[in-house]
Amino acid sequence: MRLELKDMRHVYARGTTFEVEALRGVSVTVEPGEVLGIVGGMGSGKSTLVQHMNLLLTPTSGEVLVDGVDATTLKRSDLRRRVGLALQFPEAALFAPTVGEDVAFAPRRLGLDEGEVRARVRDSLEALGAGHLSGRSPFALSGGEKRRVAVAGVLAMGPEVLVLDEPTAGLDPAMREDLLGLIRGLKAAGISVVLVSHDLEEVAEATDRVYVMERGAVRAVGTPAEVFYRVADLAPATVQTVLALGEAHRGVGRPVRFRETLAALRTVAGN
Amino acid sequence: MHALDPRAKILATAGLVLGLFLVDSIAGFLVVAVAVAALLAASGIPTGVFLRILRPVAFIVALTVLFQVLFSREGATLVEWGPLEIHAGGLRLGLFLGLRILLLVSAAGLLTATTAPVALADGIEDLLSPLERLRFPAHEVAMMMTIALRFIPTLGEEAEKITKAQAARGADFSQGGPLRRALALVPVLVPLTVGTFRRADELAEAMESRGYRGGEGRTRYRELRFRARDALALVVTQLILLVGVLA
Repeated sequence: MRLELKDMRHVYARGTTFEVEALRGVSVTVEPGEVLGIVGGMGSGKSTLVQHMNLLLTPTSGEVLVDGVDATTLKRSDLRRRVGLALQFPEAALFAPTVGEDVAFAPRRLGLDEGEVRARVRDSLEALGAGHLSGRSPFALSGGEKRRVAVAGVLAMGPEVLVLDEPTAGLDPAMREDLLGLIRGLKAAGISVVLVSHDLEEVAEATDRVYVMERGAVRAVGTPAEVFYRVADLAPATVQTVLALGEAHRGVGRPVRFRETLAALRTVAGN
Repeated sequence: MHALDPRAKILATAGLVLGLFLVDSIAGFLVVAVAVAALLAASGIPTGVFLRILRPVAFIVALTVLFQVLFSREGATLVEWGPLEIHAGGLRLGLFLGLRILLLVSAAGLLTATTAPVALADGIEDLLSPLERLRFPAHEVAMMMTIALRFIPTLGEEAEKITKAQAARGADFSQGGPLRRALALVPVLVPLTVGTFRRADELAEAMESRGYRGGEGRTRYRELRFRARDALALVVTQLILLVGVLA
């Protein structure tokens, strides 16, 4: 599916003294089958933006289009099934007596039969590396385990687009690797992924295109190479390394991912 | 009025509440009503805002008045219409009860509108502190109130966040009859409660690591000072009340 957000404006607490314009005319497109990154500092409007993708928030003005169709005309439960959104710290919403029951919440809401529900629970938990946690209480898990269960709960809906808001916040580097693996797997299965993060390294590794947001507006958009070599203050370590070499090693090109940067530097160093 | 010592305001309001139950004449109510109106004007609160405070009670007042007017059989009969009778006594009682409720809510509303929640909690703690001698945990009660007040917005945000997360998974909070809707709240209430207990634990640890040892010997950053004008305000309001009661 192609998801378009056109000219989005969102004002919080309109008409009160706390009024703030979180989005000031932002346009973002999620192409089918791509991994899209959204980066930006705190208060740039990233979370506000992605909450419009499944209409958890409605824009003050602007349009949300799903394959060209106005999303507000679609059945809300259908939209939320097709665009799965995992908010920041999603584990705060775990509630069921067992992990299996919690992950089954969304598929059951979809009216699937028990056999299908069980299959989905099993598959999504395994995709998140949490298959062994099925019978445990969600409140007795570690932070990383809870996170996996929460994301599995969203994945179990079988979305066409999976939106992850800061999925690795507060987790260790091993988890980041697992997450990148998950994203690769989803892309291979034809599911688009929107990755909101302030971890530039993970965005550099996993995404096909990136939007850079600043204070409620899009500052730059393009492939990671196009974007990160342009916005010098928001560049992952790989890009910063290449930029730091400056004139000395022009032949390096514009690598962004770790392996390609390493390979490019080795080639140049070999000369 | 906003700057008066909260203890004076609390005591004045308490006196007013007590007095209102003793007032028993139209003249008396008029005196109190004029006094409350004067206080309202002095507080600088826009009338529109104040009326909004009274709105929730409007229904109860109307119901009370109606009930008294239609079902009381006291005093001379004024109107007879089939089974319905309206007596003078009913009218009087209905009016008094209605006025009483309105004035009570106005007084309480004035108190909360002119006193910051923390000041209120401090004031209550001070007023209750003599009870410490009777082993009543006045300090702990006040601390609980302050903490609860401080966490209302935090829990509100958390509830909103959890509701959004469940809505993103297909939860629907607007469907079905009352039982269905109540059950639909479980996925929000459970994590909220668990989160609240966790927060309480974390807060307790934070307070202890910052040296909190209970109420013994604690001082306040903002001290409450009972000044002449507080005493004056208290005396004046109570005098007006006395006039109203005796009228």
